Amino acid sequence: MKQFAKLAIATAVGVVMGTAAIADGLYAPNLAYRTGPFAATGIPLMNGQRDYIAMLNARDGGVGGIAIDFDECETGYSTAKGVECYEKTRGSAIVTQPWSTGITLQVLPKTNVDQIPILAPGYGFSPMADGRTFQWAFNAPSGYWDAADMIVQYLEGQGDLSGKEIAFLHLDHPYGKEPIPVFEAMAEAKGFDFNPIPVGLTEMQNQSAQWLQIRRTRPDYVVMWGWGAMNAGAITEAVKTRFPMENFVGVWWSGHDADLALVGDAGKGYKSISFSFPDMDAPVMADIRKHVVDTGLSLSNETEMQGVFYARGIVISMILVEGIKTAQDHFGTAEIDATQLRWGLENLNVTEERLAELGMSGMVPPFSTSCSNHTGHSGGWMLEWDGAAFAKVSDHLMPNVDGYAALAAEKAAEYAEANAPWPINEACEG
Amino acid sequence: MLHKIFIDPFVEMYMLPDFLLQVLWEGLVSGILYALIALGFVLIFRSSRIFNFAQGIMVVFSALTLVGLHAMGLPAWVSVGATLVVMYILAMTIERVVLRPLVGQPDIILFMATIGVTLFLIGLGEIIFGGENKVMITSELGIPTGAFELFPWGGFLILEQKDVTAVVVAGLLVAGLIAFLNYTRMGRAIRALGDDHQAALSVGISLQTIWVLVWFIAGIIALVTGIAWGARAGVSFALEVIAYKALPVLMLGGLESITGAIIGGLMIGMLEKLFEIYWGQPLLGGNTETWFAFMLALIVLLFRPQGLFGEKIIERV
Repeated sequence: MKQFAKLAIATAVGVVMGTAAIADGLYAPNLAYRTGPFAATGIPLMNGQRDYIAMLNARDGGVGGIAIDFDECETGYSTAKGVECYEKTRGSAIVTQPWSTGITLQVLPKTNVDQIPILAPGYGFSPMADGRTFQWAFNAPSGYWDAADMIVQYLEGQGDLSGKEIAFLHLDHPYGKEPIPVFEAMAEAKGFDFNPIPVGLTEMQNQSAQWLQIRRTRPDYVVMWGWGAMNAGAITEAVKTRFPMENFVGVWWSGHDADLALVGDAGKGYKSISFSFPDMDAPVMADIRKHVVDTGLSLSNETEMQGVFYARGIVISMILVEGIKTAQDHFGTAEIDATQLRWGLENLNVTEERLAELGMSGMVPPFSTSCSNHTGHSGGWMLEWDGAAFAKVSDHLMPNVDGYAALAAEKAAEYAEANAPWPINEACEG
Repeated sequence: MLHKIFIDPFVEMYMLPDFLLQVLWEGLVSGILYALIALGFVLIFRSSRIFNFAQGIMVVFSALTLVGLHAMGLPAWVSVGATLVVMYILAMTIERVVLRPLVGQPDIILFMATIGVTLFLIGLGEIIFGGENKVMITSELGIPTGAFELFPWGGFLILEQKDVTAVVVAGLLVAGLIAFLNYTRMGRAIRALGDDHQAALSVGISLQTIWVLVWFIAGIIALVTGIAWGARAGVSFALEVIAYKALPVLMLGGLESITGAIIGGLMIGMLEKLFEIYWGQPLLGGNTETWFAFMLALIVLLFRPQGLFGEKIIERV
């Protein structure tokens, strides 16, 4: 009886607290990972996201007068736990931020039923750009295929790629495999050899076999789609095998300052394509410092705040907030729901002027979304490690979206067919 | 296809002997480190019949403690000493709080308890040290960070000095451990407990003392492993994943054999590298290291269920 009474009290407290959480504002859960093998890269991103929202809540009382209830559900980058988090939060969430391509692919089929938008900035399934097919999924400001295209563009700028070899070192995971179709298409069109080299989860910190293969085949370039401990493992092996760092390029998730700090000067010349860039002098950073860091609300530290990933976390939360604001302005209400947020995310218009108003000029290129374009294709910059930090070494690169539009349409159609009946937004024209 | 399986790899080995040496060296280094992790498992299993699931997280926890203490201002070698004290306290705590109340329980209960210890250490480690990747204090410990560049047969061979150090230190550790187990009173007590619990207890060997001791030794091995792996690619919770590579080593070498752990580790380290480079990458698209060791262990188990060096247990009924 005593046990039963305790259980009843605990349930009642839980229900009351849960209700309180819902009533706190717009519920925007984040499927975060601060633990496990990918924590090292997850933490600065999650801190940037969290601090931007905390700053808005402290400075402006949230967005449009309503606070954002930003809650983290820990996944450890596990797809199974991510789905569990989705099920746990979907009752009152206005958005799902899955934070893994694996979780995104699992949740994607549920979106048409649950009608909660997925926001996966810079990750997820690249054909999600097709808003006609993926009405509830957004990966603005840029997708993986954009990244692949920009990397190849940049390498072409160094010299003709015809007859050259690009080794593709990637995590053996849905995320790592995501750009392979577009790389293969470009290899065929441009006449270079494309050689995928997978890295298993248990080999992330022991990539000697992969780098022996690189030593044997001597590719002209190594392109990396790494994450978590894989990045540091690859960079240290590249240094060890004397691979020329200037010919080693990573996607934006493989450009983490802490991974390069492990090798310091030996990593000079390593590059990473990026849709974001840190600027410690940006007004938004001053506001975060004033309202979050100085008040003890931040989980971050000075070194981390200077890095690329923390700034990217800020950019990612900015995209969510701009979606909320756009929806609030359009529907004339602060308390928007998931359907209204979907409209907001589909009508983003983040211009240079808007970025200046937000105090984020130069931290992300301008972009806009539409009913048929859920990515925005902002483009980005090539960053290079100078021994102590990343610096921009290119002008604003733009992906040649037309080059893989047909492939994207084909993959989107394949997806819809495989998950039939799949609703298509026929009203969407562009 | 048969040509690619039976001829090409050997031709390549013959034509590029320096590359073959590099593959074998990398396999040796990995194998030594697998063997060290497996040794931690074996020691605890021999003395207590507990399969210690926490061995992997002990590697992470000890390495994080070392780096964390150094970051707090302690000199490198003082940090090593302090980390050993922490590992001893951890061993005592596990024995007192987790194992002692479970004496006499079925093995599976004790195994589950070590999963509990794993989860506790993950949480504790993340609270104290955070989940970020840390730089191992390699040069502060006096471990050389350069490389020997050799040119055998006109080719090129790179031996990282920290890998050479890891191999030497691991060799000394294993030799010391074998000497300890064979020539000291405590070592013989550990072996006696492994051979027959009841008989060992009847001659006055203290179960509690031995358990603390073996968990502490497993902690020392974890620290050495953590330093060696951490020097290669930093210290993070991803190191825990490497402990899974010790499982096929144990299957291959036998759960109770120190020799089996060492030879099993070396075999798996070198064979998986050879297979990956000469057969896996050209024929199967690579990444065979994730399953090769398990396949090898399964094949061995078909013929020797107790592993290559495990004891064949005959139970009379």
